Amino acid sequence: MAPKDDPFDDAFLKKLEYLYVVSKKIVAGKNQAKRKTRLVGSGIDFADHRPYAPGDDFRGLDWKVFARTQKLFLRLFEEEEDLYIYFLIDCSPSMILGEPTKWEYAKKLVAALGYIGLSNLDRVSVIPFSSKLDGRLPPARGKAQIFKIFDFLRKLEPGKNTSLEDAFSTFVTQNKRQGIAVVLSDFYDPSGFEEGLNKLRYFKFEPIVLHIYDERELNPTLQGEMELVDVETGEVCRVTLTPELVREYRQAFIDFSDELEDYCTRKSVLYFRVPIQEAFDELVLRVFRAGGFLK
Amino acid sequence: MQFTGLPFSTIMTLAGVVAVGVTVLYLLKLRKRRIQVPFSHLWSRVLANKRTQTSFWRRFRRILSWLLHIIMVALLAFALADPHPSDEAVKGRHLLLLIDNSASMAATDVSGGADRMDVARQKAAEILDSVGPEDRVMLAAFNEHIQPLSPFVAQASLLEKPLQEIEAVATGTSYDDALSFAADSLRGTTDAQLVLISDGAGLREATLDKFDFGENTIIRHLKVGESGGNIGVTAFNVRRYLSNKLDYELFVQVRNYFDRSVEAELEIYADGRLVDTKPIRLEANETKQDFYPSQAVAGERLEARVRLTSRDARDHFPMDNRAFAMLPKTQKASVLLVSDGNLFLEGPLMLNLNIKLKKVATAEYTPEMSGQYDVTLFDRFAPPKDILPEAGNFVFFNPPAENSPWEVSGVIEDPIITTVQKSHPLMRWITLKDLNITEASQWRTGRWDSVVASSFGKPIVVTRAEVDQKMVGIAFDIQKSDLPLRVALPVLMINIIDYFTLDDASYIPNYTTGETWAVDLGIDVDKATVTRPSGEQIEVPAFNKRALFQGDEIGFYTITASTSGENPTKVRQTIAGNLSNPEESRITPTDLELGDKEVEQGVDNLIFERNELWIWAILALLALLLLEWFSYNRRITV
Repeated sequence: MAPKDDPFDDAFLKKLEYLYVVSKKIVAGKNQAKRKTRLVGSGIDFADHRPYAPGDDFRGLDWKVFARTQKLFLRLFEEEEDLYIYFLIDCSPSMILGEPTKWEYAKKLVAALGYIGLSNLDRVSVIPFSSKLDGRLPPARGKAQIFKIFDFLRKLEPGKNTSLEDAFSTFVTQNKRQGIAVVLSDFYDPSGFEEGLNKLRYFKFEPIVLHIYDERELNPTLQGEMELVDVETGEVCRVTLTPELVREYRQAFIDFSDELEDYCTRKSVLYFRVPIQEAFDELVLRVFRAGGFLK
Repeated sequence: MQFTGLPFSTIMTLAGVVAVGVTVLYLLKLRKRRIQVPFSHLWSRVLANKRTQTSFWRRFRRILSWLLHIIMVALLAFALADPHPSDEAVKGRHLLLLIDNSASMAATDVSGGADRMDVARQKAAEILDSVGPEDRVMLAAFNEHIQPLSPFVAQASLLEKPLQEIEAVATGTSYDDALSFAADSLRGTTDAQLVLISDGAGLREATLDKFDFGENTIIRHLKVGESGGNIGVTAFNVRRYLSNKLDYELFVQVRNYFDRSVEAELEIYADGRLVDTKPIRLEANETKQDFYPSQAVAGERLEARVRLTSRDARDHFPMDNRAFAMLPKTQKASVLLVSDGNLFLEGPLMLNLNIKLKKVATAEYTPEMSGQYDVTLFDRFAPPKDILPEAGNFVFFNPPAENSPWEVSGVIEDPIITTVQKSHPLMRWITLKDLNITEASQWRTGRWDSVVASSFGKPIVVTRAEVDQKMVGIAFDIQKSDLPLRVALPVLMINIIDYFTLDDASYIPNYTTGETWAVDLGIDVDKATVTRPSGEQIEVPAFNKRALFQGDEIGFYTITASTSGENPTKVRQTIAGNLSNPEESRITPTDLELGDKEVEQGVDNLIFERNELWIWAILALLALLLLEWFSYNRRITV
């Protein structure tokens, strides 16, 4: 039985079901083609021919071609495969500040998107990360696995500082099966976000960036003499906050977000700016409207 | 620059301590709030630019903030020192405000106020508003008398109430008393200044140079008033006729203070009713006196009002337009005639309606009877001296020698009246020179006697006036003369009765305001109650049967008094108070001159305009505080 203040209660589950139904409506007629794998194998639909190589299963030889050309060619069939969706959720301390936290929001988002993925018979895996991977929910399939996701998310603990590059290096090493890598993070990595995302791209993962932030980070109401302590690094920054300085900070934050978005645009990575003040179900629908990438 | 505040050493100590405190506070670093942020690199990115741009300004603005506070401390120290320009007088003055509230100050020839008194109060209030904190001010009002209203006080606001309560009174002005008081008050004080607020009307001397104010005393005369146009009743009285008590005559004196002729109407009121109007014309500065005989109107309270009828003239002083007088009540004289029969005496007494006659035979007379009558007439009879009452009015017609009040030394045969005191009340309207007398007693007169008529130095008609006893003696028997055949007999009888009864009762004196009045009450009391014309009642002392008080209003005063004991006696008397002061009615404003002592006209340079620089220092301090507050909150100096 779920705890009393459990975010993943029955009501939440009903909402997820509703989102799933709505998401199907949204994508209908828009993304007709089914996802094809680039692998060929024991499928039904013919895909291509390739020259025979020693060690290949000679049951796949196309004898008709051999009759015409006297060369051995293997018949390649398209193989329909299930999709791997990796939810890379940032669990660094910067995600846990505030009330409600970006962390809670991200978990709900993972649950919602994961449920829709499971409903489409995709394989869903949840991998929290900070400076490294902090545990892992192996890829699971089928709607019933949503409860495993819930349990996993419930037990998640905050990690240490953010290091996208380190975490994603480990991820691509451990997960050979490419798929969609949905990165839910505030991307507060002192060493930058590019290397981490590049890692995913280089290893043929299809990253989707959900940039989660709090509107209160954008518009801090602080003023006066302050010691700003970085929640991850403990770095202290003495500052006298003036309206002018706050304005400049806001501009810096916008610049930072724009840099992230520009990078994603340039690299053809789907990018979503996600303020936690936005209702997460609306966000889910927005994601579908933007790309319908889950089917 | 001069400083009148805290001692310099004290200020420097205080300022030094505060400056050190401010500096220490600036050296202490502000404890900053610790706030956790998700990503300090964003802040660092912002601050990196700021630091490179403003490192100098950051240091400078902190010093600037400290400097602002040090300047504030300096300004505060400056204010505490109470600075003043070096040429400014900062010592306190002794200021005596002497305000004239005599009758002329009720003149209405002023603009900006109801009357001169109103303007005087305003000017005095302006002076009080302008005095400095070190000044000492005394307030006094003067008219016929001086009235100090306060000692020298530092808080001028205390004088505002007594100042507003000063009212013009209907009395004259005694500048001598006022200036003498001022000289006594200011003598020996530092930086003494006398401010005399007066119209100068009523000045009796051209110069008042007998007062020693001291060399450094500044005397200022603030003249109030603009015009002298006035017409007023300067004297008014009434007297009943001696021969006919029902009639009376008026005496009125009216004076014109205009420099040209004016026309006016004199109105006579009796008990508040207008009974007569008399047109008068007065030349420039003319005083007109007139008797108005045979005023047969009933009423006891008489009033004369003069009203200017010239349309091109305006009377600015209404207070002297009214004068009041009391007409004595008509009373019948009660006369006791002790005679065994004398129609010549009885006739005139019986025919006179104002006399109530009682006749008794000589054998029936007792001394107690005389106490019930105003006059007792003895016809050829005299009671023994030892039984004659000690008080009373007695007339002796040819008294027998054994009981005669006058010692009889012989008989005068066929006396001829050779000498008569024509002015004596007994001899009014009669002549006795050709009177034929058969014989008369030769009397020896004493020191209380006055011979009214004599024959070659021998008294024929004598009066005697002792403390409570008055007598008239006729030394011959009227039946042995031709007096009964003459008209002089009834006149003499009336004169005799009037001599005793009318001299006091036919005339009630008027009283002049400002003087001390002694009103005869007739009873011995310690105090009496006076109801003033305004209705105010006051208790006044009485001494020797007279109530003593001062009147400063015109109109009718009622004095009541009563004795206590088994047989209480109550007395009620009404008298009239008039201004009757021709000098005070001359309301033309006059400059005060004090011999060789300079009198400044006006008070322009009296206003205490002290440059309170400390206020500006405090304002500057506040401005700096605001600047500091603004700069701090706008994060300019932090």
